[in-house]
Amino acid sequence: MIEIHNLTKIYRNGILELRALDDVSFSVPTGDMVCIMGKSGSGKSTLLRQLGLLDRPTTGEIILDDISVTKLSDDVTSTLRLERLGYIFQEYALLAELTAHENVFLPGMMLSNEGVDYEKRAKELLETVGLGKRIHHYPKELSGGEQQRVAIARALINSPQVIFADEPCANLDTISSRLVMETLINLNKDTSVTIVFVSHDPDDKQYARNLVVLSDGKLVLDEQ
Amino acid sequence: MIRSLKVAVFLAYKGIVRANIGVTFLTVFILVLVALNLMFVPGLINGITDSANEKLINTYSSHLVIEAQGLKDQGYKITHVKNLLTSIESINGVEAVAARNSVGTNISFKDESNNERKINCMVYGIVPEEEMKVFEVSEWLVEGSYLDNRDRDKILLGIQLAGAGQSDVELFSHSLRDVHAGDKVTVTYNNGYTKQYTVKGIFHTRFIQTDLQAFVTQLEYESIIPDTHDTASELHVRLDNNADPLEIMRRIAMFNSGVDFQTWQQNAGIVNSMTTSFQLINAILDVVNALVAGITIFIVTYVDVMNKRRQIGIQRAIGIKNHAIIFSYLLRALGYLIVGLLVARSLFIWVIMPFEASHPFYFPFGAVYLSLELPLLIRTTALLLAISIVAAFIPVMLITRIKILDAIWG
Repeated sequence: MIEIHNLTKIYRNGILELRALDDVSFSVPTGDMVCIMGKSGSGKSTLLRQLGLLDRPTTGEIILDDISVTKLSDDVTSTLRLERLGYIFQEYALLAELTAHENVFLPGMMLSNEGVDYEKRAKELLETVGLGKRIHHYPKELSGGEQQRVAIARALINSPQVIFADEPCANLDTISSRLVMETLINLNKDTSVTIVFVSHDPDDKQYARNLVVLSDGKLVLDEQ
Repeated sequence: MIRSLKVAVFLAYKGIVRANIGVTFLTVFILVLVALNLMFVPGLINGITDSANEKLINTYSSHLVIEAQGLKDQGYKITHVKNLLTSIESINGVEAVAARNSVGTNISFKDESNNERKINCMVYGIVPEEEMKVFEVSEWLVEGSYLDNRDRDKILLGIQLAGAGQSDVELFSHSLRDVHAGDKVTVTYNNGYTKQYTVKGIFHTRFIQTDLQAFVTQLEYESIIPDTHDTASELHVRLDNNADPLEIMRRIAMFNSGVDFQTWQQNAGIVNSMTTSFQLINAILDVVNALVAGITIFIVTYVDVMNKRRQIGIQRAIGIKNHAIIFSYLLRALGYLIVGLLVARSLFIWVIMPFEASHPFYFPFGAVYLSLELPLLIRTTALLLAISIVAAFIPVMLITRIKILDAIWG
């Protein structure tokens, strides 16, 4: 369960002040699939980054499984990201020096839970997302859709409780987009992992069970 | 910690293997230049001091000089020399001993135009057979031949005294200028005795203090200076490489307590001040070179890390710990450094040193050869390791401190 209480994020540049999130509150039940929608500049990605612990809100609180995570140290948030969260970036954000397989198993190598063969698991995950034959390819040798699926496999390597996906289909063609979204839906169904994704495409709300709409940083809709 | 180390090693390895070949080459090339710079000047200075010290030991002082207690010019001499030489030679670590007597003289020479030139110098009475075991003067003859034990009326002159027509000799204008082997010179001893000698040979060791010496046999010396049989002004002792001079001095003092000792370092005089100056220059250059090396490695690493800023941001975003990221860049920097050092060392030993050996630098005491001794190599390696670690650590640490999103998107 993720609870968001009065989340506000203000960006300051000299005397200029931009309120990217303004007193946003909602909750995401465990196992839910939530779509955050809104126009460009509405604060969708900003919200997701706060939830994914990549940034800190100016005020407000995020509670992840009864733990307030907004004021934890960098080291602890790093551990939380590693152990509990998976993050899929809009631009894939793969490490160029590593193959698809290495990109996927690297977070596993960092976590190194006993009894888990991360190299094998990475291989299986890549097969799950349809890239079993491209595991030794480097990111630049993969299409956008393939890179995004590698990013999904990477987000899953440590069996996270929540996956955050920031416009995962923004740079993909229709077929690749459908493949990526179907992969996320299947994951949600098969593993009950909570998925929170951001999209500006109204058609994508069909994939979600819960919809959050932002406008100018404010929550305007939170519907089941 | 082991997990972080594993990840760091993995990331460092992949970073090096997958790095742009041009950038890698340039990085290693710069490190090679930095390492060569740190080896060359100290190597040359070491070569100069080694060469000067070697010349000093082999032609002028030997390892150990033994003198009678009291002032030489007041006639204090070592007595019972034969027995003492035998005793000293029996000491473990002593390779050879030679006895010398010395006296102040004036040497004059009249050339074909009857122009007379005069110089003041010390003449040494030596036993050539002993002398050749201790010194290498006999190997530096430029004219004539070395003395034999039984030579009389013959003198051996250093080139700074004889001149030998070589106007490029440092003290040519103060020398006899045109004395050659076979010429006759007149020696006036400080006891007033004057005698004509045939110049048997002229030596040019390229060590000025040696080349200002003149030698006659001990047999000849005893015929001129009375009461010098079985005596010596000084004894010169050549030691084995691993001998302990202090122990040997202690044992010699047991045979004859009335003697003073001087090690070759104490006897070095001008060479000592020269090597001290060179060591000071070396230390200053070391600091300058270390600064240059530090700044160069810092810039190279900084550019590398800045180019990887987004990658570092992604690594942090997916949960890779900061210390693993920092350590991976330290390992990368060390990887480049080790390759740079190995290449530099190989170039130095197999290219630069042989080339310099065939085209050596010439100093007043002769050819100087680059020297790369283990302490220098260890010092260079340790210095560059320390610099590399600091130079790599600072930029990576700075990037791991900025916000993840700023690292990824700038």
